[in-house]
Amino acid sequence: MFEVPWSDYAPSLIDGLQRTIWYTVGGFVGAAILGLVLALLRLSPLRVLRLPAAIYTELFKNVPLLAIIFLTYFGLASAGVRLDVFQAGVLSLIVFYAAYLSEIFRSAISGVHSGQQEASEALGISRIATFGHVIFPQALRLALPGTNTMLVDLLKSTSLLVTISAAELMSEGRIITSETFRALEVYLVIAAIYFALCYPLSQLLLLLERKIRAGVPLSPRRRRRLRIARELLAQKEVLA
Amino acid sequence: MTEIVASEPTTTVEAVVRIDGLSKSFDGRLVLDSVGLTVRRGQIVAIIGQSGGGKTTLLRCVNLLERPDGGTIEVAGEPVFAAGKVVCRSLARLRQSVGMVFQRFNLFPHLTAVENVMLAQQRAGVGESEALERSVALLRRVGLAHRGLAYPEQMSGGEQQRVAIARALALKPTVLLFDEPTSSLDPESTGEVLKVMRELADDGMTMILVTHELTFARDVADWVVFVDGGHIIEQGVPAEVLGRPRELRTKAFLTTYAAGG
Repeated sequence: MFEVPWSDYAPSLIDGLQRTIWYTVGGFVGAAILGLVLALLRLSPLRVLRLPAAIYTELFKNVPLLAIIFLTYFGLASAGVRLDVFQAGVLSLIVFYAAYLSEIFRSAISGVHSGQQEASEALGISRIATFGHVIFPQALRLALPGTNTMLVDLLKSTSLLVTISAAELMSEGRIITSETFRALEVYLVIAAIYFALCYPLSQLLLLLERKIRAGVPLSPRRRRRLRIARELLAQKEVLA
Repeated sequence: MTEIVASEPTTTVEAVVRIDGLSKSFDGRLVLDSVGLTVRRGQIVAIIGQSGGGKTTLLRCVNLLERPDGGTIEVAGEPVFAAGKVVCRSLARLRQSVGMVFQRFNLFPHLTAVENVMLAQQRAGVGESEALERSVALLRRVGLAHRGLAYPEQMSGGEQQRVAIARALALKPTVLLFDEPTSSLDPESTGEVLKVMRELADDGMTMILVTHELTFARDVADWVVFVDGGHIIEQGVPAEVLGRPRELRTKAFLTTYAAGG
């Protein structure tokens, strides 16, 4: 059954794999930032800020990703904005996934109990610090499951970039197929690589979710703080 | 509006909180109608009254969690609200000098007890090790050194409220506000929390508390304020307001409460 000389194609597969990862990282980081900004705008008391963010979200949630890819690559080019394949690919992913992530973030932020904001402000903590230290960490816990699903989904969706020959994993698969005419074998291998990427990633994210929920300190600074606290708490009565 | 000063007329102890002509309405409904109250250093003032009578709103105006419509508020000699506007130099500074304890604790669920007490200190610029030591000392003071690394969800209601008290004390406030601190607690937890509050009172802490614990008010408070329909109906020493109330509405309220237990 295996007749494709895989060792010859290994370098191009690794190239494709790397590009898939870069598209994923670039797309996800961008989408997370834009999604957060959109979520904050949608939670603003000002209608002028809320409305454009809501329109954006509804617009891009209801347009297929493939259409967005064609628009950014071919569409913008015909309008004189020439993006290279990588720019167009990452931009499409950002624009599309930001809409979904903003919905997840918005519901997570508004899911944090209003008493939290109040308690923090009553302690004289500034609004910005309240968001950073009280609201955001709690919202993050609420947003994590949905966000993780989106990350894996985004990784798989990079395969759509085959349509603009983005030289990622799927594109490499298509090239190998055209050279060997072994579509079944090639695409089985490509599918297996996607699985080998996505399955451990989603398991890792689940683990992270559980750790964060259990309150395991992730930063070295917090670990150190809790260790010192443990020592201080264990000491017998000290004069304060 | 006759203002009754909440202490012997001859004492010259400074007023920590001075409220005058305070008004507040929600959606056109008047919740506070020209209320005046003075709290002096070391005093424990209990605000009692029916739910919806305006007592919680009055308390929340002291640290401007609720913005009044009119009147004046002075905290520690500094005007914080006047002529319909917030006039204090820094809202953060005001709130650092006024600690608050909520009915529903409102601890930060993503932080351990000790970190809950630490956070405000860190944001106020207290150094890491100093903040840690102070937080541990405060947890010890409320009898919870052994629960310092527990998360709120792992603690009983009484423990959570005691951590909340430690958190409110973290910035060495001039006055502590308690908003029905035992209303969501079982009797045993209520006892724990009241014990800590009693110790604070013995240490000379200035406290304003909205409460349904009339026995506690009688034993610990040195001034009781009965609020109803947005007005202070009656105020005085506990023996008078709770023992020999002059006003009909106070009598009616106390009768209902006595009947309820």
